[in-house]
Amino acid sequence: MDELVSLRGIVKHFPGVLANDNVDFTLRRGEIHALLGENGAGKTTLMNILYGLYRPDSGEIYIEGRRVEISSPKDAIKLGVGMVHQNFKLIPSHTILENIILGLKEVGFIINYKKISEEVKKLAESYGWRINPNAYVWQLTAGEKQQVELLKLLYRDARILILDEPTSVLTPQECRILFQALRRMAREGKGIIFITHKLDEVFAISDRVTVMRKGKVVVTKETIKTDMPELAQYMVGRPILFTIEKKEPKPSGEAIIIKNLKAFNDKGVLALKGVDLVVMKNEIVGVIGVTGNGQQELVEVIAGLRKAAEGSILIDGINIVNSSPDRIIKLGVAYIPPEPLRYSIAPNLTIVDNLFIKAYRYKPYSNGILINWKKVYKKADELVKNFQIISPSLSTKAKSLSGGNLQRLILARELSGLIGDRIPRLIVAAYPTKGLDIGATEFVHKTLIEYSRKGSGILFISEDIEEALMISDRVAVMHDGRIVSIFKPGEVDIEKIGLMMAGVQVASTI
Amino acid sequence: MAKTLTIPYIIKIQKRLYYSRRLSILTTFSAVIIAFGVAGLFFTIIGLNPLEVYSHIGGVFASPTLLLESFKRAIPIGLAALGLSIAFRMNFWNIGAEGQMYMGMLASTGIVLLHVYYGLIPDYFVLLLMLLAAFFTGGLWCSLPAFLKAKMKVNEILTTLMMNYIAMYLTDFLIYGPWRDPRGYGFPLSVPFPEYSKLTIIFGEFAYGGLLLLCLTAVLVFTILRYTKLGFELKIVGESIETARYAGINLSKVVTVGGFIAGGIAGVGGLTIVSGIIGRLRPRASPGYGYTAIIVVLLSALNPWLIIPVSIFFGGLFVAGDILQATLRIPGSAVEMYQALIFLFIVIGEFMKRYKVTITRRVFG
Amino acid sequence: MSIQWIEQVLQLTVQMGTVYLLASLGEIYAERSGVLNLGLEGMMIMGAAISFIFSIAYGHLSAIFIAAMLGALMGFILSILAVDMRLNQVVVGLALTLLGIGLSGFFTFPEIRKNILLKLNPSLPAEMLLTQQAEKLPETPIPLFSDIPILGKMFFSHNVLVYFSLILSIVMWFILFKTRIGLTIRSVGENPSMADSLGVNVYMVRRATTIISGAFASLAGAYFFIGFHPFWREGVTAGRGFIALALVILATWSPLRAIVGAYLFGGVETFQYRLQLFGLGAQSPYFLAMLPYIMTIVTLIIISTENIKKKIGAPASLGIPYSREE
Repeated sequence: MDELVSLRGIVKHFPGVLANDNVDFTLRRGEIHALLGENGAGKTTLMNILYGLYRPDSGEIYIEGRRVEISSPKDAIKLGVGMVHQNFKLIPSHTILENIILGLKEVGFIINYKKISEEVKKLAESYGWRINPNAYVWQLTAGEKQQVELLKLLYRDARILILDEPTSVLTPQECRILFQALRRMAREGKGIIFITHKLDEVFAISDRVTVMRKGKVVVTKETIKTDMPELAQYMVGRPILFTIEKKEPKPSGEAIIIKNLKAFNDKGVLALKGVDLVVMKNEIVGVIGVTGNGQQELVEVIAGLRKAAEGSILIDGINIVNSSPDRIIKLGVAYIPPEPLRYSIAPNLTIVDNLFIKAYRYKPYSNGILINWKKVYKKADELVKNFQIISPSLSTKAKSLSGGNLQRLILARELSGLIGDRIPRLIVAAYPTKGLDIGATEFVHKTLIEYSRKGSGILFISEDIEEALMISDRVAVMHDGRIVSIFKPGEVDIEKIGLMMAGVQVASTI
Repeated sequence: MAKTLTIPYIIKIQKRLYYSRRLSILTTFSAVIIAFGVAGLFFTIIGLNPLEVYSHIGGVFASPTLLLESFKRAIPIGLAALGLSIAFRMNFWNIGAEGQMYMGMLASTGIVLLHVYYGLIPDYFVLLLMLLAAFFTGGLWCSLPAFLKAKMKVNEILTTLMMNYIAMYLTDFLIYGPWRDPRGYGFPLSVPFPEYSKLTIIFGEFAYGGLLLLCLTAVLVFTILRYTKLGFELKIVGESIETARYAGINLSKVVTVGGFIAGGIAGVGGLTIVSGIIGRLRPRASPGYGYTAIIVVLLSALNPWLIIPVSIFFGGLFVAGDILQATLRIPGSAVEMYQALIFLFIVIGEFMKRYKVTITRRVFG
Repeated sequence: MSIQWIEQVLQLTVQMGTVYLLASLGEIYAERSGVLNLGLEGMMIMGAAISFIFSIAYGHLSAIFIAAMLGALMGFILSILAVDMRLNQVVVGLALTLLGIGLSGFFTFPEIRKNILLKLNPSLPAEMLLTQQAEKLPETPIPLFSDIPILGKMFFSHNVLVYFSLILSIVMWFILFKTRIGLTIRSVGENPSMADSLGVNVYMVRRATTIISGAFASLAGAYFFIGFHPFWREGVTAGRGFIALALVILATWSPLRAIVGAYLFGGVETFQYRLQLFGLGAQSPYFLAMLPYIMTIVTLIIISTENIKKKIGAPASLGIPYSREE
């Protein structure tokens, strides 16, 4: 049986989006198969289906020629399928050995630590890893933790391994060690699916590559038979450019100057490796790049929600690095976080509460101790009208609003000058149109452009190249924690953009 | 989400999409009735007539003197519950209301002793000073665990629980020791409190003075929660700490101040016990009012106005317990049993409201 | 302060400490799997009450057995509420405690006891029906060992339940740290979703540990009554269940350290009464009584500091109900 895995006609819907659109995918024995695509392409969804985290709406899964139903990771593991996610599922206060053997009935009643320790050590060595099975997981580096995750699967004789963006947490040396191990696994006859958005990795390690875009499989090819420009094109596609009426901006001073900014992400890996960027007032700078290259950390540092390790951020001459969120809000920085329901909106509080979640403590809405609800409600009424927030009443809980209306709420809150009664100096918007329908998206674009004309500088993170090219005055490409290129829309063609996003050095005109 | 047991039925638990108000009231009502039903069953098993028991309980609310007695008990319970409504609002699980009450008792007694033994305080000032002292010490007792939670994420359930015992033993220590009334024939009692320190401002009866205090406090708590910056901040912190941080809220400050107020109000509740109900300090002055307050505040859904009637109901249960003990020879601890049963079934009712449970016969396997 | 005095104190310390030890052993297992059982006090006092009744009706063996069964039942109820229905563990635990305290109060009344005793064993003589005290479990000193000075009295001159508790601690320690079952329990408490994805039945594990904690709490109550202080009073366990909760933290969830902690608390309690004899005033025992609680708070603070949290700390998912999201 040469085919380890065969996925046929997989369809998966989520509310509002078709994540997998009739996807066919095969994995051969002994091959490393790269699954390439931008965010939202559907690759992680597809693999989650194979691993039993999701169930497909239709389609079939065959493992080693047999049709199977995988309804949970338990089933997947029994079938020999294992997945290593970006967020490790390990117990830090237990040892490596304890994490690996959890749930295995073969271990017996009393754990023979010595014997299993030997086995684990030998297993690890067979892949080129040196570990001490009795070390505690909290002591390990990200790369070592990943080895433990892999060992968990290998110890259970997993024959099909799925790795989701594994190199995002690794240093270059650790990458090398990982790739060596993967090659050994492939030689043993295991099949490996390697989800990535980095083109160089595809060529470093894979035998075949499948490119996905917007839920469909674009192409599956032998890696040797293709090259980077071709893959970049497949990844990014041929866009339809809409154009929007935009006057040339008249820059009038800097809104924000970022110099050599470095910061760590939650996993302790350096996510920002020296970002240099200037956003002028009256200007929209769109930042594109595959999610996970530091964009989130960048906006969080600017908003004061994350500490920077090095570098400076100047607003009006003041270095705001490591200041409190409150101070940064007062300096006129508005932050529109991604995923509204996560923390920028309190779902169980009302629309009014959410509108005033930052402004409640400033005049005229509060006089120091008490809140003047009359003024608050009046202003809230105004905001709801101006920003077209549709809801039964002001006292409706935020969780009953649609995504589009929530985004309008956030825009109303951030942009309408509730604090200090002036327009924001800098608006930082992270994926503000994600998940929104066309009408809501248009509204967001119009609003941002309007405010840029009023004098705000806008830093706007997008996953969608078309969107960025459409409304930005300048576009910056972010890769691996740095801004690799800045240009005006139209100066660089789509292919080159795709390559830049994938980390390939390209000469560009700035 | 389906969960299967190894019995020939499959029990499926699914989240309900919405539930009507009627369903809500219906479940709460049936919870109370089921609680009484189960208790009745228990009585029959041990050889008592449930109907007799219930007629006595009902009798409490029908008789004016007993109702007055219920009001008296309701006052410390209600005050503690009002304090808890502030704490729970910000998701601070304050199990320490009991200890905060004891600290309030200690502070008030301390002021009285200063006055009686050393004459340091003029008569008309005593009550006011007692109030302030009780509020302050109760507040401190709660703000320490609150601060520890805000700064170091120390589990407040355990810290406040421990603080309860420290406060109780501190009280024991003082009342068996330096604060024992030398003319009390060796009993562990403090000097009796002078009349003007006993909240008897209205109609000369503690119950009325106390009720007034309770209502005023309810107004105060309502104002804080609805109209102040702090109240708003507490709401957001209770919703999600992430959101609070994003909004620029100073977590340590808000949580500590909120804890201080919550503990302070409970402390005043302690004052009403020694000053109003008993008239002096003695060990185990509170039969668990602080824990009852937890049940009260949860049953009232943190609503200050509901807290008052619910406290009266539970106050009535305590009185009923005393009556049952005297007449039917049923131990006062029956009250605790009731509280627990009502509470349990209402909590289960909450669950039933949110989830639909279907039981179907297993077809195979 | 003669040798005899020291021996007596140590012996009492162990006897008092056994109550805490038994209760905390079960709770350690429950908390290690992520379930906080605040109903310990209620289960303990019910254990005492049931052992009182059954020791009079049928004798010690049945008392111990029935107490354990009752505790297991209460643990089972808690497991349904906390694990299956995923209700707030603090709330249901407190409710169960109140329920237990309330129910046990009924046994204070002689007529009620008489009714029940007659139903259980109609052939009981009249004076047993109304007695307030039960027969104490006999001391069974281990020959030879019990003659060792100091240690002999401390460890080898007790009733069977004390020996049982010590052996149990060691066994439970071994199971928890050296066997597959123990690893499973600990992992469920740290990262239930990881355990779930590897095939562990999280619900079953938590149910088992909760039942165990109930059974042991009740057993602790039974020991307290018939093994230590067989005089019934309302609220006879006086908060010892909550002390056991504190003990679990102090022992940082390890059965062996629980022995030390339990005897520490037992020692403090013993001293409380001895101190009075020293004429240090009637109030000093209370000062000492505060110590265990203060120590617990200090422990809580220490284990919350960043460095320590990594190595030794509360199980990560303690008190958090588990549900598998689709």
